[in-house]
Amino acid sequence: MTVFDQVRTLACDLFATSADKLSSSSSPETVEAWDSVQHLNLVLAVEEKFHLQLSPEEIEQMKTIGDVVKIVEGKLQTAPS
Amino acid sequence: MPITIQPYLPEHERAVAEFNQRLKTATNDPSLVFPRYAVPRWLPPTSGQPVWNELFVAVEGSSVRGAYGLKQEQIFVRGKGIYTAACYHHSLAEGIIDRAYASVGVLLVRDALVRQPLLYVLGMGGMDRPIAKMLKALGFSLTVLPFYFRVVYPAKFLREMQALRDQPWRAWLMDFAALTGTGWLGIKTIQAAKALRTLRGDFSAEEVAEFSDWANDLWSEARDSVSLAAVRDAKTLRLLYTSGDTALTRLRVSRNGKPIGWAVVGERRKDSKFGEMRVGSIVDCWALPVNAAAVIRAATRAIEKRNVDLIVSNHGHHLWGRAFEAGGYLGGPSTFVLAMSPKLTELLQPLEKTRDFIHITRADGDGLPRNF
Repeated sequence: MTVFDQVRTLACDLFATSADKLSSSSSPETVEAWDSVQHLNLVLAVEEKFHLQLSPEEIEQMKTIGDVVKIVEGKLQTAPS
Repeated sequence: MPITIQPYLPEHERAVAEFNQRLKTATNDPSLVFPRYAVPRWLPPTSGQPVWNELFVAVEGSSVRGAYGLKQEQIFVRGKGIYTAACYHHSLAEGIIDRAYASVGVLLVRDALVRQPLLYVLGMGGMDRPIAKMLKALGFSLTVLPFYFRVVYPAKFLREMQALRDQPWRAWLMDFAALTGTGWLGIKTIQAAKALRTLRGDFSAEEVAEFSDWANDLWSEARDSVSLAAVRDAKTLRLLYTSGDTALTRLRVSRNGKPIGWAVVGERRKDSKFGEMRVGSIVDCWALPVNAAAVIRAATRAIEKRNVDLIVSNHGHHLWGRAFEAGGYLGGPSTFVLAMSPKLTELLQPLEKTRDFIHITRADGDGLPRNF
Protein backbone atom coordinates (compact mmCIF):
# COMPACT_ATOMS: atom_id res chain seq x y z
CA MET A 1 0.00 0.00 0.00
CA THR A 2 1.49 3.36 -1.02
CA VAL A 3 1.74 6.38 1.28
CA PHE A 4 -0.92 8.05 -0.86
CA ASP A 5 -3.30 5.10 -0.33
CA GLN A 6 -2.67 5.14 3.42
CA VAL A 7 -3.16 8.91 3.73
CA ARG A 8 -6.29 8.71 1.58
CA THR A 9 -7.68 5.96 3.80
CA LEU A 10 -7.11 8.13 6.88
CA ALA A 11 -8.74 11.09 5.15
CA CYS A 12 -11.72 8.99 4.03
CA ASP A 13 -12.38 7.94 7.62
CA LEU A 14 -12.01 11.45 8.99
CA PHE A 15 -14.00 13.23 6.31
CA ALA A 16 -16.58 10.43 6.01
CA THR A 17 -16.20 10.20 2.26
CA SER A 18 -15.26 7.55 -0.28
CA ALA A 19 -11.79 7.05 -1.79
CA ASP A 20 -12.93 7.91 -5.31
CA LYS A 21 -13.91 11.40 -4.10
CA LEU A 22 -10.41 12.18 -2.79
CA SER A 23 -7.50 12.90 -5.07
CA SER A 24 -4.04 14.32 -4.67
CA SER A 25 -5.43 17.82 -5.21
CA SER A 26 -8.24 17.54 -2.63
CA SER A 27 -8.06 20.39 -0.09
CA PRO A 28 -10.15 22.08 2.61
CA GLU A 29 -11.67 24.16 -0.17
CA THR A 30 -12.93 21.12 -2.09
CA VAL A 31 -13.77 18.72 0.76
CA GLU A 32 -16.77 19.89 2.77
CA ALA A 33 -15.78 18.15 6.01
CA TRP A 34 -12.18 19.35 5.99
CA ASP A 35 -12.42 22.17 8.52
CA SER A 36 -9.94 23.28 11.19
CA VAL A 37 -10.99 20.54 13.61
CA GLN A 38 -10.63 17.84 10.97
CA HIS A 39 -7.31 19.33 9.92
CA LEU A 40 -6.07 18.74 13.46
CA ASN A 41 -7.49 15.22 13.41
CA LEU A 42 -5.70 14.58 10.13
CA VAL A 43 -2.42 15.82 11.64
CA LEU A 44 -2.85 13.57 14.68
CA ALA A 45 -3.89 10.58 12.55
CA VAL A 46 -0.87 10.98 10.25
CA GLU A 47 1.48 11.30 13.23
CA GLU A 48 0.06 8.16 14.82
CA LYS A 49 -0.08 6.11 11.65
CA PHE A 50 3.46 6.86 10.49
CA HIS A 51 5.04 7.28 13.96
CA LEU A 52 6.32 10.76 13.25
CA GLN A 53 6.02 14.30 14.62
CA LEU A 54 4.98 17.10 12.30
CA SER A 55 6.50 20.54 12.78
CA PRO A 56 4.41 23.75 12.66
CA GLU A 57 5.88 24.48 9.20
CA GLU A 58 4.84 21.05 7.92
CA ILE A 59 1.34 21.38 9.40
CA GLU A 60 0.99 24.70 7.64
CA GLN A 61 2.17 23.20 4.34
CA MET A 62 -0.52 20.48 4.45
CA LYS A 63 -2.85 22.25 2.02
CA THR A 64 -3.83 19.23 -0.11
CA ILE A 65 -3.77 15.44 0.21
CA GLY A 66 -0.80 15.52 -2.16
CA ASP A 67 1.04 17.90 0.20
CA VAL A 68 0.43 15.54 3.12
CA VAL A 69 1.77 12.60 1.11
CA LYS A 70 4.85 14.57 0.07
CA ILE A 71 5.62 15.58 3.67
CA VAL A 72 5.15 12.05 4.99
CA GLU A 73 7.30 10.53 2.23
CA GLY A 74 10.02 13.09 2.92
CA LYS A 75 10.02 12.36 6.63
CA LEU A 76 10.00 8.60 6.15
CA GLN A 77 13.02 8.85 3.85
CA THR A 78 15.00 10.87 6.38
CA ALA A 79 13.86 8.86 9.41
CA PRO A 80 16.57 6.66 10.98
CA SER A 81 15.94 3.03 10.15
CA MET B 1 4.56 32.17 2.16
CA PRO B 2 5.10 30.41 5.49
CA ILE B 3 3.07 31.31 8.57
CA THR B 4 5.04 32.08 11.72
CA ILE B 5 3.70 32.72 15.18
CA GLN B 6 5.34 35.55 17.02
CA PRO B 7 4.69 37.98 19.87
CA TYR B 8 2.21 40.69 18.94
CA LEU B 9 4.15 43.92 18.37
CA PRO B 10 2.95 47.45 17.56
CA GLU B 11 4.06 46.92 13.94
CA HIS B 12 1.38 44.18 13.65
CA GLU B 13 -1.49 46.40 14.81
CA ARG B 14 -2.51 47.47 11.32
CA ALA B 15 -2.55 43.85 10.08
CA VAL B 16 -4.57 42.83 13.16
CA ALA B 17 -7.11 45.57 12.39
CA GLU B 18 -7.40 44.20 8.83
CA PHE B 19 -7.73 40.64 10.18
CA ASN B 20 -10.53 41.80 12.52
CA GLN B 21 -12.24 43.54 9.61
CA ARG B 22 -12.12 40.39 7.45
CA LEU B 23 -13.66 38.36 10.29
CA LYS B 24 -16.34 41.00 10.89
CA THR B 25 -17.24 41.30 7.22
CA ALA B 26 -17.53 37.54 6.74
CA THR B 27 -19.29 36.60 9.97
CA ASN B 28 -20.97 39.76 11.30
CA ASP B 29 -20.08 38.41 14.73
CA PRO B 30 -18.88 41.23 17.00
CA SER B 31 -17.31 38.75 19.42
CA LEU B 32 -14.71 37.70 16.84
CA VAL B 33 -12.29 40.49 17.46
CA PHE B 34 -8.68 40.41 18.61
CA PRO B 35 -7.28 43.17 20.86
CA ARG B 36 -6.41 46.25 18.86
CA TYR B 37 -3.23 47.09 20.73
CA ALA B 38 -0.10 44.98 21.02
CA VAL B 39 0.38 45.90 24.66
CA PRO B 40 -2.61 44.45 26.50
CA ARG B 41 -4.78 47.06 28.17
CA TRP B 42 -5.60 44.59 30.92
CA LEU B 43 -2.77 42.97 32.88
CA PRO B 44 0.13 44.03 30.65
CA PRO B 45 3.39 42.18 31.32
CA THR B 46 5.11 43.96 34.18
CA SER B 47 8.14 42.76 36.03
CA GLY B 48 7.36 41.02 39.29
CA GLN B 49 3.60 40.76 38.77
CA PRO B 50 2.00 37.35 39.41
CA VAL B 51 -0.59 37.65 36.59
CA TRP B 52 -0.05 39.04 33.12
CA ASN B 53 -1.29 38.82 29.57
CA GLU B 54 0.76 38.01 26.46
CA LEU B 55 -0.55 38.22 22.92
CA PHE B 56 0.65 36.34 19.82
CA VAL B 57 -0.09 36.61 16.11
CA ALA B 58 0.25 34.19 13.19
CA VAL B 59 1.93 36.19 10.47
CA GLU B 60 2.02 35.42 6.74
CA GLY B 61 4.00 38.08 4.93
CA SER B 62 2.40 41.37 5.89
CA SER B 63 -0.91 39.75 6.91
CA VAL B 64 -2.11 38.34 10.22
CA ARG B 65 -3.91 35.00 9.79
CA GLY B 66 -4.56 34.15 13.41
CA ALA B 67 -3.93 35.24 16.96
CA TYR B 68 -4.27 34.20 20.59
CA GLY B 69 -3.60 35.37 24.12
CA LEU B 70 -2.08 33.73 27.17
CA LYS B 71 -3.00 34.89 30.64
CA GLN B 72 -0.05 33.70 32.67
CA GLU B 73 -0.83 33.18 36.34
CA GLN B 74 0.05 31.27 39.46
CA ILE B 75 -2.06 28.23 40.24
CA PHE B 76 -2.29 26.12 43.37
CA VAL B 77 -2.57 22.35 43.11
CA ARG B 78 -3.38 20.60 46.39
CA GLY B 79 -0.61 18.31 47.51
CA LYS B 80 1.73 19.61 44.79
CA GLY B 81 2.22 23.34 45.30
CA ILE B 82 2.29 26.50 43.20
CA TYR B 83 2.92 26.47 39.43
CA THR B 84 2.82 29.02 36.65
CA ALA B 85 0.08 28.09 34.20
CA ALA B 86 -1.75 29.95 31.46
CA CYS B 87 -5.23 30.47 30.15
CA TYR B 88 -5.41 30.28 26.34
CA HIS B 89 -7.87 32.92 25.20
CA HIS B 90 -9.03 35.09 22.29
CA SER B 91 -7.98 32.39 19.84
CA LEU B 92 -8.98 33.47 16.33
CA ALA B 93 -7.96 31.98 13.00
CA GLU B 94 -8.49 32.90 9.37
CA GLY B 95 -9.71 29.32 8.91
CA ILE B 96 -13.06 30.48 10.34
CA ILE B 97 -13.72 32.36 7.11
CA ASP B 98 -11.29 30.83 4.62
CA ARG B 99 -10.68 27.09 4.49
CA ALA B 100 -7.33 27.61 2.83
CA TYR B 101 -6.21 28.49 6.37
CA ALA B 102 -7.71 25.45 8.10
CA SER B 103 -4.30 24.67 9.60
CA VAL B 104 -3.97 27.93 11.53
CA GLY B 105 -6.17 26.84 14.45
CA VAL B 106 -3.95 23.79 15.03
CA LEU B 107 -0.80 25.89 14.79
CA LEU B 108 -2.06 28.33 17.39
CA VAL B 109 -2.93 25.71 20.02
CA ARG B 110 0.28 23.77 19.47
CA ASP B 111 2.32 26.95 19.70
CA ALA B 112 0.61 27.84 22.98
CA LEU B 113 1.34 24.37 24.36
CA VAL B 114 5.01 24.77 23.55
CA ARG B 115 5.12 28.15 25.29
CA GLN B 116 3.17 26.90 28.32
CA PRO B 117 2.44 23.16 28.72
CA LEU B 118 0.28 23.87 31.80
CA LEU B 119 -2.53 25.32 29.75
CA TYR B 120 -6.26 25.65 30.24
CA VAL B 121 -9.14 27.06 28.24
CA LEU B 122 -12.38 28.24 29.78
CA GLY B 123 -15.86 28.91 28.44
CA MET B 124 -15.94 28.01 24.76
CA GLY B 125 -19.75 27.86 24.56
CA GLY B 126 -20.11 24.12 24.95
CA MET B 127 -18.57 20.74 24.21
CA ASP B 128 -19.81 20.75 20.63
CA ARG B 129 -17.91 23.89 19.59
CA PRO B 130 -14.94 23.46 17.21
CA ILE B 131 -12.37 24.63 19.74
CA ALA B 132 -13.63 22.17 22.36
CA LYS B 133 -13.43 19.33 19.82
CA MET B 134 -9.95 20.41 18.82
CA LEU B 135 -8.73 20.47 22.42
CA LYS B 136 -10.25 17.07 23.08
CA ALA B 137 -8.39 15.67 20.09
CA LEU B 138 -5.18 17.13 21.51
CA GLY B 139 -5.70 15.18 24.73
CA PHE B 140 -7.17 17.95 26.90
CA SER B 141 -9.58 16.83 29.64
CA LEU B 142 -12.93 18.59 29.36
CA THR B 143 -15.25 19.36 32.26
CA VAL B 144 -18.55 21.24 32.18
CA LEU B 145 -18.72 23.66 35.11
CA PRO B 146 -22.19 23.97 36.63
CA PHE B 147 -24.32 27.06 35.99
CA TYR B 148 -26.44 28.58 38.76
CA PHE B 149 -29.08 31.28 38.52
CA ARG B 150 -31.43 33.08 40.85
CA VAL B 151 -34.46 34.91 39.55
CA VAL B 152 -35.07 38.23 41.30
CA TYR B 153 -38.05 39.38 39.22
CA PRO B 154 -39.81 36.28 37.86
CA ALA B 155 -42.30 38.09 35.58
CA LYS B 156 -39.56 39.88 33.70
CA PHE B 157 -37.44 36.75 33.66
CA LEU B 158 -40.22 34.73 32.07
CA ARG B 159 -40.83 37.38 29.43
CA GLU B 160 -37.23 38.11 28.60
CA MET B 161 -35.39 34.85 28.89
CA GLN B 162 -34.92 34.59 25.15
CA ALA B 163 -32.79 31.50 25.47
CA LEU B 164 -35.79 29.61 26.82
CA ARG B 165 -38.16 30.96 24.19
CA ASP B 166 -36.78 29.04 21.25
CA GLN B 167 -40.10 27.34 20.53
CA PRO B 168 -43.44 29.12 20.11
CA TRP B 169 -45.32 26.88 22.54
CA ARG B 170 -42.72 27.49 25.24
CA ALA B 171 -42.73 31.24 24.65
CA TRP B 172 -46.52 31.25 24.87
CA LEU B 173 -46.44 29.23 28.08
CA MET B 174 -43.93 31.58 29.63
CA ASP B 175 -45.97 34.65 28.65
CA PHE B 176 -49.05 33.02 30.15
CA ALA B 177 -47.21 32.14 33.34
CA ALA B 178 -45.88 35.69 33.61
CA LEU B 179 -49.30 37.20 33.04
CA THR B 180 -51.20 35.04 35.49
CA GLY B 181 -48.58 34.93 38.18
CA THR B 182 -48.25 31.15 38.13
CA GLY B 183 -44.67 31.42 36.90
CA TRP B 184 -43.81 33.88 39.66
CA LEU B 185 -45.30 31.55 42.24
CA GLY B 186 -43.48 28.53 40.87
CA ILE B 187 -40.05 30.16 40.74
CA LYS B 188 -40.37 31.81 44.13
CA THR B 189 -41.60 28.54 45.70
CA ILE B 190 -38.68 26.53 44.35
CA GLN B 191 -36.12 29.16 45.34
CA ALA B 192 -37.65 29.56 48.81
CA ALA B 193 -37.74 25.81 49.35
CA LYS B 194 -34.07 25.58 48.48
CA ALA B 195 -33.22 28.57 50.63
CA LEU B 196 -34.87 26.91 53.66
CA ARG B 197 -31.82 24.72 53.82
CA THR B 198 -29.51 27.67 54.27
CA LEU B 199 -27.14 27.92 57.17
CA ARG B 200 -27.52 30.42 59.96
CA GLY B 201 -27.38 34.05 58.95
CA ASP B 202 -24.99 35.30 61.64
CA PHE B 203 -22.61 37.08 59.36
CA SER B 204 -21.99 40.61 58.24
CA ALA B 205 -20.70 41.92 54.93
CA GLU B 206 -19.00 45.18 54.05
CA GLU B 207 -17.75 46.64 50.80
CA VAL B 208 -14.00 47.09 50.71
CA ALA B 209 -11.92 49.28 48.42
CA GLU B 210 -9.25 46.64 48.02
CA PHE B 211 -7.97 43.34 49.33
CA SER B 212 -5.28 43.43 52.03
CA ASP B 213 -3.63 41.09 54.54
CA TRP B 214 -6.88 39.58 55.75
CA ALA B 215 -7.29 38.09 52.23
CA ASN B 216 -3.91 36.37 52.61
CA ASP B 217 -5.14 34.70 55.79
CA LEU B 218 -8.26 33.47 54.02
CA TRP B 219 -6.23 32.22 51.07
CA SER B 220 -3.93 30.19 53.34
CA GLU B 221 -6.82 28.92 55.45
CA ALA B 222 -8.98 27.65 52.60
CA ARG B 223 -6.65 26.62 49.82
CA ASP B 224 -6.44 22.99 50.92
CA SER B 225 -10.21 22.72 50.45
CA VAL B 226 -9.70 22.88 46.69
CA SER B 227 -7.84 20.60 44.30
CA LEU B 228 -6.98 23.44 41.92
CA ALA B 229 -7.39 27.19 42.00
CA ALA B 230 -5.73 30.24 40.55
CA VAL B 231 -3.87 31.89 43.42
CA ARG B 232 -6.11 34.33 45.24
CA ASP B 233 -3.76 36.02 47.68
CA ALA B 234 -4.04 39.74 48.40
CA LYS B 235 -1.39 40.79 45.87
CA THR B 236 -3.08 38.91 43.04
CA LEU B 237 -6.53 40.11 44.05
CA ARG B 238 -5.39 43.74 44.07
CA LEU B 239 -4.25 43.28 40.47
CA LEU B 240 -7.45 41.59 39.36
CA TYR B 241 -9.82 43.86 41.27
CA THR B 242 -8.19 47.25 41.27
CA SER B 243 -9.46 49.72 43.83
CA GLY B 244 -10.51 52.17 41.12
CA ASP B 245 -12.82 49.70 39.39
CA THR B 246 -16.32 50.81 40.35
CA ALA B 247 -18.09 48.28 38.10
CA LEU B 248 -17.32 45.54 40.58
CA THR B 249 -18.18 45.36 44.28
CA ARG B 250 -15.64 43.74 46.59
CA LEU B 251 -17.19 42.27 49.72
CA ARG B 252 -15.58 41.09 52.92
CA VAL B 253 -17.80 38.69 54.85
CA SER B 254 -17.21 38.35 58.59
CA ARG B 255 -18.57 36.48 61.56
CA ASN B 256 -18.04 37.85 65.07
CA GLY B 257 -15.69 40.43 63.61
CA LYS B 258 -13.43 37.86 61.94
CA PRO B 259 -13.26 37.68 58.12
CA ILE B 260 -14.59 34.32 56.92
CA GLY B 261 -14.64 34.91 53.18
CA TRP B 262 -15.00 37.36 50.33
CA ALA B 263 -16.91 37.79 47.10
CA VAL B 264 -16.83 40.03 44.06
CA VAL B 265 -20.09 40.87 42.31
CA GLY B 266 -21.01 42.96 39.32
CA GLU B 267 -23.58 43.59 36.62
CA ARG B 268 -23.01 41.87 33.30
CA ARG B 269 -22.95 43.59 29.96
CA LYS B 270 -26.16 43.43 27.94
CA ASP B 271 -26.56 40.08 26.23
CA SER B 272 -29.23 39.24 23.65
CA LYS B 273 -29.85 35.85 25.21
CA PHE B 274 -31.12 37.60 28.35
CA GLY B 275 -33.34 40.04 26.46
CA GLU B 276 -33.82 43.36 28.30
CA MET B 277 -33.01 41.90 31.68
CA ARG B 278 -30.39 43.37 33.96
CA VAL B 279 -28.19 40.46 34.91
CA GLY B 280 -25.93 40.38 37.94
CA SER B 281 -23.08 37.97 38.42
CA ILE B 282 -21.29 36.49 41.38
CA VAL B 283 -17.96 36.91 39.69
CA ASP B 284 -15.64 35.42 42.26
CA CYS B 285 -15.68 34.12 45.83
CA TRP B 286 -13.44 32.50 48.39
CA ALA B 287 -13.92 30.91 51.82
CA LEU B 288 -13.72 27.60 53.59
CA PRO B 289 -16.59 25.44 52.29
CA VAL B 290 -18.26 25.63 55.71
CA ASN B 291 -18.60 29.40 55.19
CA ALA B 292 -19.48 29.27 51.50
CA ALA B 293 -23.23 29.60 52.06
CA ALA B 294 -22.74 32.78 54.10
CA VAL B 295 -20.56 34.25 51.35
CA ILE B 296 -23.11 33.40 48.66
CA ARG B 297 -25.92 34.95 50.68
CA ALA B 298 -23.90 38.11 51.28
CA ALA B 299 -23.00 38.32 47.60
CA THR B 300 -26.63 37.79 46.62
CA ARG B 301 -27.83 40.60 48.86
CA ALA B 302 -25.19 42.94 47.48
CA ILE B 303 -26.03 42.28 43.85
CA GLU B 304 -29.79 42.41 44.48
CA LYS B 305 -29.29 45.98 45.72
CA ARG B 306 -28.31 46.89 42.15
CA ASN B 307 -31.88 46.07 41.04
CA VAL B 308 -30.90 43.27 38.74
CA ASP B 309 -33.59 40.91 37.39
CA LEU B 310 -31.47 37.80 37.43
CA ILE B 311 -28.24 36.66 39.09
CA VAL B 312 -26.00 34.10 37.41
CA SER B 313 -22.79 32.34 38.26
CA ASN B 314 -20.66 29.33 37.43
CA HIS B 315 -18.62 27.40 39.92
CA GLY B 316 -16.67 24.19 39.61
CA HIS B 317 -16.40 23.18 43.27
CA HIS B 318 -19.25 20.91 44.31
CA LEU B 319 -19.40 22.22 47.88
CA TRP B 320 -19.79 25.75 46.53
CA GLY B 321 -22.51 24.32 44.31
CA ARG B 322 -24.36 23.26 47.45
CA ALA B 323 -23.88 26.75 48.86
CA PHE B 324 -25.50 28.22 45.74
CA GLU B 325 -28.43 25.83 46.10
CA ALA B 326 -28.74 26.70 49.79
CA GLY B 327 -28.85 30.35 48.74
CA GLY B 328 -31.90 29.70 46.58
CA TYR B 329 -30.12 29.28 43.28
CA LEU B 330 -31.30 26.84 40.64
CA GLY B 331 -29.05 24.83 38.37
CA GLY B 332 -29.33 25.34 34.62
CA PRO B 333 -27.77 23.90 31.46
CA SER B 334 -24.15 24.95 31.27
CA THR B 335 -21.94 25.70 28.29
CA PHE B 336 -19.04 26.83 30.49
CA VAL B 337 -16.35 24.27 29.79
CA LEU B 338 -12.95 23.87 31.42
CA ALA B 339 -10.36 22.22 29.18
CA MET B 340 -7.04 21.31 30.79
CA SER B 341 -3.94 20.33 28.84
CA PRO B 342 -2.49 16.84 29.31
CA LYS B 343 0.31 18.19 31.56
CA LEU B 344 -2.13 20.13 33.74
CA THR B 345 -4.48 17.15 33.90
CA GLU B 346 -1.55 15.00 34.98
CA LEU B 347 -1.08 17.22 38.05
CA LEU B 348 -4.65 16.55 39.07
CA GLN B 349 -4.64 12.79 38.81
CA PRO B 350 -6.72 10.90 39.74
CA LEU B 351 -9.01 13.37 37.99
CA GLU B 352 -12.19 11.50 38.91
CA LYS B 353 -11.41 12.32 42.56
CA THR B 354 -10.17 15.88 42.14
CA ARG B 355 -12.54 17.13 39.44
CA ASP B 356 -15.36 18.13 41.83
CA PHE B 357 -13.01 20.24 43.94
CA ILE B 358 -11.69 22.52 41.21
CA HIS B 359 -12.29 26.12 42.24
CA ILE B 360 -13.06 27.89 38.97
CA THR B 361 -15.35 30.91 38.80
CA ARG B 362 -16.45 33.50 36.24
CA ALA B 363 -13.35 35.51 37.13
CA ASP B 364 -10.99 32.85 35.83
CA GLY B 365 -9.87 32.55 32.25
CA ASP B 366 -10.66 35.72 30.34
CA GLY B 367 -13.67 36.50 32.56
CA LEU B 368 -12.16 39.76 33.75
CA PRO B 369 -12.34 42.65 33.48
CA ARG B 370 -15.82 42.59 31.87
CA ASN B 371 -16.48 39.17 30.36
CA PHE B 372 -18.04 37.63 33.48
